[in-house]
Amino acid sequence: MSTRAEHFEALAARLKPACEALIAQYEEPRSALLPIMHLFQENEGFVSPEAMRCAASMLGVSPAVVESTVSFYTLFFRRPVGKYVLQVCRGLSCTVSGAEEIMKYFREKLGIGHLQTSDDGLFSYEEVECLAACDKPTCMQVNLEFFYSLTPAMIDEMIAAMRAGTFAVAPMAQTEQPGKTWSVKQDGEVSMGRKSLGATDVSHPNNAGGLGDASGLIMLDRFVNNEIAMRGRSNERLVQDASSVADVLGDHEHAGH
Amino acid sequence: MPVTKVLTAGIGECDLRDIAVYRQRGGYVQLHRALTTMKSTDVLDAAEKSGLRGRGGAGFPTGKKWSFLPGQIPTRYLVCNCDEAEPGTFKDHMLLEETPHLVLEGILLGAYGIGSHHAFIYIRGEFKRGYEIFMKAVADARAAGFIGKNVLGTGYDLELTVHRGAGAYICGEETGLLNSLEGKRGEPRLKPPFPAIAGLYGMPTVVNNVETLAYLVPILANGPEWFSAVGTERSKGYKIISISGHVQKPGNYEVPLGTPVRELIEIAGGLFPGRTLAAIQPGGGSSACIFPENLDDPYDYESLAKAGSMLGSGAFLVLDDRTDFVQAAYNMVRFFAHESCGQCTPCREGGHWLETVLHRFVQGRGLHSDLEMLHRVSGTITGLNLCALGDSIEPFLKSVLKRFPEQFEARIQTVAV
Repeated sequence: MSTRAEHFEALAARLKPACEALIAQYEEPRSALLPIMHLFQENEGFVSPEAMRCAASMLGVSPAVVESTVSFYTLFFRRPVGKYVLQVCRGLSCTVSGAEEIMKYFREKLGIGHLQTSDDGLFSYEEVECLAACDKPTCMQVNLEFFYSLTPAMIDEMIAAMRAGTFAVAPMAQTEQPGKTWSVKQDGEVSMGRKSLGATDVSHPNNAGGLGDASGLIMLDRFVNNEIAMRGRSNERLVQDASSVADVLGDHEHAGH
Repeated sequence: MPVTKVLTAGIGECDLRDIAVYRQRGGYVQLHRALTTMKSTDVLDAAEKSGLRGRGGAGFPTGKKWSFLPGQIPTRYLVCNCDEAEPGTFKDHMLLEETPHLVLEGILLGAYGIGSHHAFIYIRGEFKRGYEIFMKAVADARAAGFIGKNVLGTGYDLELTVHRGAGAYICGEETGLLNSLEGKRGEPRLKPPFPAIAGLYGMPTVVNNVETLAYLVPILANGPEWFSAVGTERSKGYKIISISGHVQKPGNYEVPLGTPVRELIEIAGGLFPGRTLAAIQPGGGSSACIFPENLDDPYDYESLAKAGSMLGSGAFLVLDDRTDFVQAAYNMVRFFAHESCGQCTPCREGGHWLETVLHRFVQGRGLHSDLEMLHRVSGTITGLNLCALGDSIEPFLKSVLKRFPEQFEARIQTVAV
């Protein structure tokens, strides 16, 4: 029952000296917010609510301040993501050099689209803004390591190696299984709503209710409402039957206790 | 060919990440010389005399920026801006990874030049590898006595903090960067006060780009006259141009400012066989396009401004005749809509709606009224925001809409639904 809490307590104790060293680098403690969140994300695979609360107490600010700040940055994942985060550049330099085909190939190969995570929790896929490697299009990052001048053959090799566990880049920590993949509008995607992989979104059933929702009640309420609201939309990949709903509710109950 | 390797010297030939290699090639000599034989105001004078202008985008004279610091406040900070994310720019990424000690020496010189005892570098979150390389360089430099208390026995204390961002283009805007460095959302601040008066922790602060600070090293080594002898009347010295798009050899090329646009294309291997030039975006995602009639213009701050565009960060994106400018305009606008911090309504809403409308065009579902709106919208976004991001949404769109109206008209839906 208490494994998650115990694990986190141990992690927080282990990271405390490193966090204190980070804080000492600055004139004001709050400046260490980003580095501390990076540190927790490296260890947990995402920025957990526990990590945000822990950072808040170390920095002497409220949890809401930490969450608000974390939510500003696309590289902080506020929910679990895949072990390999694949971020392909959709900047103009890459786009005029064939990035569209590369992105299409990725989507077909992985069976997931922009901002989605594969059901086995291995891959998350995101099309990102200019990565500053425009001389070698199409470029991408895997867990923030660069890969350049992509071709379908390279992608095949890359994905196979990740599946086989032999890829050159280490997988991210994954202390919690990513949630089920819900639909994100692919082609008509515009920037309102969820903008990045790790963001939560009020209209999204996977959304947690934020740090104030320790008991998960807000999330449950939102989930039920969204479930009703979205049931009629046939073009979306929705929960089709009761068993999936039970799955998700089961996951939630598990996470909530 | 005008390619002149100054900052880029040695890259690809030797391992400049190795502090011993860097020092063999004269590295840290200027820092030593400055700290032992020069007053900090001498460094400022050199920067001013050289005519060096900010290489991050705004092109503000570096010496002048420093001179705005109020003399009576002893606490001041130097912040190096390595949050390179302007679409098409990849020079700081290269400098950070390939020649980190040059970047570091530039920062330390800059800090000494403004009399700062604590410098910061803000590295884009995506540059994880660059961050690791730079951290190693900092550790080596610290061991050699270039950073910390009593640098090189001169009695001057100089601390350096390396700060990694977490994915936000807007943190490249100097006040957004300072907020992010303070552990806040990277939302730009209202100016004035400018950072020189009230910056990091409310103290006088200078924010300079990586390339700007790195040029301090050769400027001190060769004298400010060496730098100001190159370039045009008001655009002095060298600049790394990030050339990408439809050229055969894209890459970073360091050239004197004022090199003709045509030559830049030739340096980068020229266009692909059988292709003709359609447009060039000469200064990053925020800049308007220039066109074949500008091929003989000198590539400098003034000429590009005269042509209705800007030099910006020196990103030079070449687009040939196969370019879909509707798609390109959508891509550019989507970028700014995605990166808007959301503080100012014209930028947040304007970017979003332009993106939505342009997406209709991409899908061939544009409306006549949309086209009119695209012309009309000009002036309802630009100039109405706290920072330059909102002003950057329209220039590319406007320039290609004016030049290639037929491409937009062809995407108007003709069949009634």
